[in-house]
Amino acid sequence: MEKSQLPFLTVAALAHLIKTHEVSPVEVVEAYLERIERLNPLLHAFLTVCPEDARRAARTAEHEITHGAYRGSLHGIPYAVKDQLSTRGIRTTAGSPLFADVVPDEDATVIAKLHQAGAILLGKLNMTEFGTTGFSHQFSTPRNPWDLARYTGGSSSGSGAATAAGLCATSLGEDTGGSIRFPAAWCGVVGLRPSWGRVSRYGLMPGVWSMDTLGPLARSVTDCALTLEAIAGHDPKDPYTWNVPVPPYTQGLDGTITGLRVGVVREQLETDLVQPEVREAVLCALDVLRDLGATVEDVSIPLAAHAGTISGGLRVEAPRRYRTLLQSRLQEIGHDNRIGYLTGALLPAQAYYKAQQLRVLLRQQVLQALAQVDVLVQPTAGLVAQPVEPDPLIDSKTKTNRLSWLLTTTYSLANVPALSLPCGFHTLQDGTALPIGLQIAGKPFAEVTVFKVANAYEQQTPWHHQRPPL
Amino acid sequence: MHDLTTEEIRALGHAVGLEIREPELTEVTYSLNALLEALEAINPAELEHVEPLPILLPSA
Repeated sequence: MEKSQLPFLTVAALAHLIKTHEVSPVEVVEAYLERIERLNPLLHAFLTVCPEDARRAARTAEHEITHGAYRGSLHGIPYAVKDQLSTRGIRTTAGSPLFADVVPDEDATVIAKLHQAGAILLGKLNMTEFGTTGFSHQFSTPRNPWDLARYTGGSSSGSGAATAAGLCATSLGEDTGGSIRFPAAWCGVVGLRPSWGRVSRYGLMPGVWSMDTLGPLARSVTDCALTLEAIAGHDPKDPYTWNVPVPPYTQGLDGTITGLRVGVVREQLETDLVQPEVREAVLCALDVLRDLGATVEDVSIPLAAHAGTISGGLRVEAPRRYRTLLQSRLQEIGHDNRIGYLTGALLPAQAYYKAQQLRVLLRQQVLQALAQVDVLVQPTAGLVAQPVEPDPLIDSKTKTNRLSWLLTTTYSLANVPALSLPCGFHTLQDGTALPIGLQIAGKPFAEVTVFKVANAYEQQTPWHHQRPPL
Repeated sequence: MHDLTTEEIRALGHAVGLEIREPELTEVTYSLNALLEALEAINPAELEHVEPLPILLPSA
């Protein structure tokens, strides 16, 4: 196989070639490093690349596999990780120059698990400062591989760009209000926010403790499932991981969803926040699911329209965590975080309490909807990728929410699994094609069902075969 | 509910150990007023009957 073809193979395909000795992990790593060297100056997806560590790990993997010590599907597979996760001996910035010199002496649990699975770390991925869902980057703004003038979505912006552009086989991101699904949607890849408590957060620089969730971004549903299998599970170092077995997420991916019940969240589809091309793509996706034998019906989550406000009312934690920086180095924090953190720091306790109550009600509404159906479906974001621009000044109350069309927060507040996968492209007048994301949410710890529906849809559609023009 | 003024925002900041000055002061004033106004407007009937437990604790 040509070296240049390796970076766009799925994890599953690469794993087969590696296991059968048709390709060496050394060749695979070299192919990705070559691509990173060529494209990262355009995409700004990586903050730190670890070529020598990756080559060393590849030689070790090659030796092990040659001698019959194959560890499983991720052995010899190159991956990259959002720079919010601690990596031993490799700087971990959380996207902020304030942490530019932080070098952890211990790996995050998920990094240790991937290492144990034989996966090979290529480097650390760009992100918004402190992982705030949105756009504000302090090092450099990652560019969307489908159009370099546009955003990737955030906060796992580098994860979206690198995965879509074939700079890694799979990646990890972190999702508080939508930070995995948002870049997955805008970059045209698959991104899963697992159930809260499914994946250890030990070694993660936190944002909102009751919402932060780690998960995979990959170029196929199967690759997402393979990656989740490797990182999921109880961790004594994270008291909020649940001690329930990790199912084999890839086993049920047979393309059959006959009889499954799909709920369409109408409030999140018919709203003016969704542009017509996105709505049309989601409606077409529902037709595909119907043709596959699923039952499609409308459901209602009335408080979903207020998810952004409710989430805003809970964002008092990061300002508390970073209060010393707010007091002493305010001007070194990016604009959107500077204003957002100061706002959160001043939020009255009564408002915070009310937001917590509203969150409980919203979660109840989500669970009630999921009692009627197996999965919920809606757009991930109402808009396709937007042009890169400086953080706008807030000069009126109407200009305080840049993300009103981001439709991910409902499931973050409800702590249920939610996945975004490509469901089409919006082609602009100049011919630029921008990906559209379909969001599928499931019951707590029912990632198997979410993957099953997503995989069945993926097998019936061509979107995941398309590559960015790089 | 009346909007908080920039002076009131400055005083709130002082109360939590933050000296907020321009240009942030005006932006934070708009931002906090917008958030409080939006939260104030959400009043589902069941609101007073729920305890604010954000999540179930794991059974680890």
